[in-house]
Parts: sequence; C-alpha cells; structure tokens
Amino acid sequence: MPDQALMDRMFTRIMRGLVDSGTAPHYAELARALGLSVEDGRRLLHDVMQAYPIGWLHPETDYIASFPPLNSLPTQYRVTVRGEQRWFAQCGFEATSVTWLFPGETIRIDAPCLDCGDPLALEMRDGAITWVDPPGIVGHLNYGFGASRGRNWFL
Amino acid sequence: MNLFQAEEHARRWPAFNPKSEQGFISLVDLAGFFGTESRRHMLDGNYLSTWYPRRGVERREYFERIGKTTPFWLGTPDPEEKS
Repeated sequence: MPDQALMDRMFTRIMRGLVDSGTAPHYAELARALGLSVEDGRRLLHDVMQAYPIGWLHPETDYIASFPPLNSLPTQYRVTVRGEQRWFAQCGFEATSVTWLFPGETIRIDAPCLDCGDPLALEMRDGAITWVDPPGIVGHLNYGFGASRGRNWFL
Repeated sequence: MNLFQAEEHARRWPAFNPKSEQGFISLVDLAGFFGTESRRHMLDGNYLSTWYPRRGVERREYFERIGKTTPFWLGTPDPEEKS
C-alpha cells in the first residue's frame, strides 16, 4: 500500500517542477528530493500516476509526458508567463486551468486552430479571461468523457 | 479537447467526430469548468489525497449547472451506445 503522504509529496514536487521549469522532473531527481532510493522513487512515480490517471508516462518509459494541466511533452498549447514561453498545456481544455498554477500572474495561451492554422490566443488572470483573439474561440470535445468511449479522450 | 476559431472550423477539422456535435463549449463555460474549487488547490501539499478526489463531484455539479447533462459530458454509460 503506497504511503499517501509520500505520494502527496511527490505529486507536489512534480507539479512545482513543471511550474518552475516547464518540464517534469525525472524519477531519480524526485527520489533524491524525497530521500528515497532511485528504484523506490520510480515505483512511487508509478503509484502517483495511477492515482492521477489524467496524466501519463510516455509509453514504454518512466518519463512523465503529461501531468495536467501542464505537459512535459510539447503540445500546440503554448503557455507564456512573464513574457517567457516555457510551458505547454495538456490540451485546450486544461489550458484554461493553468491560470491556477500562477496566482496573481497574467498567463497567455497561444495555439493554432486545427482547421485553418490561424493563431488563437487568450489571456487569463486568477481564473478570469481577460483577453481573447479572435473573440469567437470555442472549446470542442471530440469524444465524450469516460473510459468507455474508447478513444484518446484528450483529443 | 481542443480550441477552435469557431464551431465551423471544428466541423472542418479532418479528425472531427460526427458524433461530437454536442461537444462544443464556450470559453467562459470552459474557464468555469476548470475553475472549480479543487482546481485552485493544485499547488497545495495535499492536492492528490484531498482535492483531486473531489473533482468528479464538482464536474458533475458544474455540468448540470450549465445544462450539459448527457452521457457524452458526464462520462456515464450511454444507453444508445452498444458495448
């Protein structure tokens, strides 16, 4: 049975690592930070990802690819904070919750429209949308929520 | 889960799922959905154990509030879908 307090600590380390640098830490780095052996760190990472199934490791690896709302693997949803484009959101929906990782900051999301490639941009601050261009941007869920839908739910 | 310039752009997307006509959501509703209480605690030390498990209930309540009550949005079994 995984230690819940330790899982919380690893989760926070991963999220903070992503916020600080734009990329997720490796399990060996997490292990050292938590005072664990490297192998125990790797196992704990798998426990954390199992408890947070909306994120995932890159297939056949122990690398954190996605840890929503942010992604360590680049996506088309680029996030800029304080003039630095260092982050990627997992998807267009999760992009709207990145604001909560940067309290008091204006965050900008840039993405190309998947139909025409034209730029889409919005800015948010503490959960509020402060600017949108073009104004008619919409969100679209291509497959319904729920594992039974059988397709990549993030599409 | 993508953003598009407008609904017609999503429909022209080659990967558009014809069954996803009900899958549109305004940016304001989206920000509301991703702004429920638990989301504001993603940096808290107890997020995974305490806040993340609340998201399911929050999600359902929010979708009901904005009228998205179909299995497509709620993630519940769809009687019209064959297993």
